[in-house]
Amino acid sequence: MLRASISSMWLAAAWLASFTLIASPGATADETCNSPYIGNLIKGQEDYVYVWTLGIEGLGDGSDKLVTIDANPASKTYGKVIHKVSVGRRGEAHHMGLTDDRRALWAGGLDDSRIYVFDIAKNPAKPRLVKTITDLSAKTGYVGPHTFYALPGRVLVQGLSNSQDGGGVTGIAVYNNQGKFVAKYPMPTEGGGDGYGYDIAINPKKNVLLTSSFAGKQNYMTSLGKLVKDPEAMKHFGNTMVLWDLKAMKPTKIFSVPGAPLEIRWSLNSGDNWAVTATALTSKIWLIKQDAKGDWQAQAVADIGDASKIPLPVDISIRADGKGLWVNTFMDGKTHYFDLTNPEKPVQTFEKVTGKQVNMISQSWNGERVYISSSLLANWDKTGTDDEQFVRAFHWDGKELSPAFEVDFLKEKLGRAHHMKLGSKALKMAFDDVPGRPPLASR
Amino acid sequence: MNAGLLVVASLLSAPSGVAVQDVRKVDELGFVPPAPGSYVLQHILRAPEGPVLDVRGQPRRLSRFTTGKITLLSLIYTSCGDGSGCPLASHLLAQLRERADGNEKLRSRLRFVTLSFDPDNDTPEAMRVYADGYLSGRTGPPWNFLTTRSRRELVPVLNGFGQDVWMAVDGSSEKAGKLPHLLKAFLIDRRGWIREIYTTSFFQPLVVLNDMTTLLLEEQH
Repeated sequence: MLRASISSMWLAAAWLASFTLIASPGATADETCNSPYIGNLIKGQEDYVYVWTLGIEGLGDGSDKLVTIDANPASKTYGKVIHKVSVGRRGEAHHMGLTDDRRALWAGGLDDSRIYVFDIAKNPAKPRLVKTITDLSAKTGYVGPHTFYALPGRVLVQGLSNSQDGGGVTGIAVYNNQGKFVAKYPMPTEGGGDGYGYDIAINPKKNVLLTSSFAGKQNYMTSLGKLVKDPEAMKHFGNTMVLWDLKAMKPTKIFSVPGAPLEIRWSLNSGDNWAVTATALTSKIWLIKQDAKGDWQAQAVADIGDASKIPLPVDISIRADGKGLWVNTFMDGKTHYFDLTNPEKPVQTFEKVTGKQVNMISQSWNGERVYISSSLLANWDKTGTDDEQFVRAFHWDGKELSPAFEVDFLKEKLGRAHHMKLGSKALKMAFDDVPGRPPLASR
Repeated sequence: MNAGLLVVASLLSAPSGVAVQDVRKVDELGFVPPAPGSYVLQHILRAPEGPVLDVRGQPRRLSRFTTGKITLLSLIYTSCGDGSGCPLASHLLAQLRERADGNEKLRSRLRFVTLSFDPDNDTPEAMRVYADGYLSGRTGPPWNFLTTRSRRELVPVLNGFGQDVWMAVDGSSEKAGKLPHLLKAFLIDRRGWIREIYTTSFFQPLVVLNDMTTLLLEEQH
C-alpha cells in the first residue's frame, strides 16, 4: 500500500508539473509563442535578441543573416549589434524556432527552402552556422519552410507551398534535431480542408496541435501591389484551421476561418483550454476553445482596427498569464493591446503607431519588455521612405510603450529585420570542457 | 481549480494507502489518447552506442540494453533532488514496470534502463544501491541500472540521445552539486530506434503503455 501511495504521489506530481511547468530547469518558453517542450526558460532578463534578417542587394554583403543584439540594460553594449552570421545568399529569410534542448536555432528561407541550423549553446553571444538542410523539397515536395516548432528531439517544419505548382497545398515535415528527415504529414484537402499551412501550436495537456493557413509561393513571392490587383490570385489564401491529434498526427477537425489565419497562441494560464489567432485579410481575432461538451469550436471574437481598410494584422504575442494580447498591423504601423481577461470578448485598451511598417512582436516573459521588427516579406514591404527597417525595444508599464532602444537595420547595412528570438548567457552546456566533444553539426 | 487539480490536491495531501486507480484518473484527465496500434510512432533516431558499466562494474556495450526488447530508458543522476526531475523519472519507470508486470504480452517483451549522467559520483556501487531501492521485493520486466567510466565516455552517449545537461555560468549549480536538465525518457524499439521521447509535459503512464503496445502490435504485423 505504501508503494502505491508513493507512486501515486509521484504521478500526481508529474501531472501537476505538466500543468504548472515547474520542471528543472524549465518546461516552457521565454517567449510565449515557443513550443512547451523547450527547456531552459529565460524567466528573468534576456541577454540577446536574435534577428533573422533578409539581405538586400547592394546593402552590406547583401545576404540573409542572423543578427545578435545585446538586450541586457546592464551591458556596455546594450541596444547594439554585437554579432552577425551571414549565410552567403538571399533566400527570403523568414521565421526561426528553437530546438527543445535550446542548443540550436533553426531558420528558414521561404524562397530557396533552405533551413539553417545555428548553434547558440556554445557561445550564445556569437551563434555559429553549423548545418544547412537542403532536402526539404526532395523529401516531401513541400517548399517554403515557415514555422519551426520543437517536439522532444525533433522539429516540426510547416511548409507554405509545394514544389509542383507553387500553390498553397503543403504539409508538415519532421526532422530530428540532428537535421535528418523523419516523416511528413500533408495538410488535409478533404472534409473542408484547403491543404494550406502557416503556423503550428501545440497544447500537450490536451494532446492537440493546431495549424493555420496562409498562401503559396506564387502569392508570397509576388509584390503586394500586384497581388491585390489580381482577383484570381486573391482567391488563393488559406481559410481554414486544423485541429490534429498530436500523438497520432492525424487531423481531427477542420474549422472555417476566412481570411488567412496566421500566428496561433495557446493561453499558458493553468487550466485554460483555448488559443487565439488573427486573420490577416479579414482583420479579426478568432478564439479556438473547447465547449461545455469538450468539443473544439472556433469563433470570431473581435475586430482589429477597421477591417475595411485591411490593416493587415501580421503578428500577435500573448501574455504568459493569457490575460492580454499584442497585435501588430503592418499597413498602418500600429501596435495594439487587447485585454483578454474574457477571451470571448477581447477589448482593445491601447494602440500606438510604432513604425511606418511593423511586423513581428515579441515580449519578455514578465511582459515588461516588448520588441518590434519591421519586415513582412521582401516583396510586400513598403517602398521609399516608408521602407523603414528596424528592431525597436520598448518598456511596457501596462499603460504606455516607452522606447528603450532602436537598431536601424539600413544604417547598419544589415537588411530587413524579420523574426526575433530571445537568448540568454546564464547557462552553458555541462561537460563542455571534455576533450574531443564533437561539434553540434556532427552529432 | 478544475477537477484535475482537485484530484491532484487530494493525492498530494492523502495519507498512505492511496489506491492506484486514483492515479489512472490523473492519467486520463485532459484527453483520451488514441488506441494502441491506431497510429505510427516515428523513427526519430538510432539509440547511440557506447561503453557503459553495469552495477557489478562489468564493461558492456550500451546496445546490449537498447536492442532485442522494447526499451524505456531514462537518464538520471542519483543525487538529483529535484522532485520533478530524476526521482520522478525513476518512480514513473517503477510504476510502468509494475503495470507491465500484470500484462502477460508486455512483460516478456519489455526492458527498463536507467543510465546515470554523473560518472564522477555514480559509481557502479552507487547505482547498485540506487537500484536496490526500486528492485528489492518487486517483480517485473528486467530493469538495468548503468553508468559510465568517465565524462569522456559519457558525452557521446548524451549527445547521441540529445539529452541536455546544463550548468549555471556563475558556478552556482556545480557548487550545489546540481546538473540541471529537462526530464527525458526514451522509448526504443527492438531494433534500436528511438520511437518516442517523453518530457515532463508528456510523460503520462497510460500514453507510454499505449506506445509500448503499439510497438508490440507493429512487431506482430
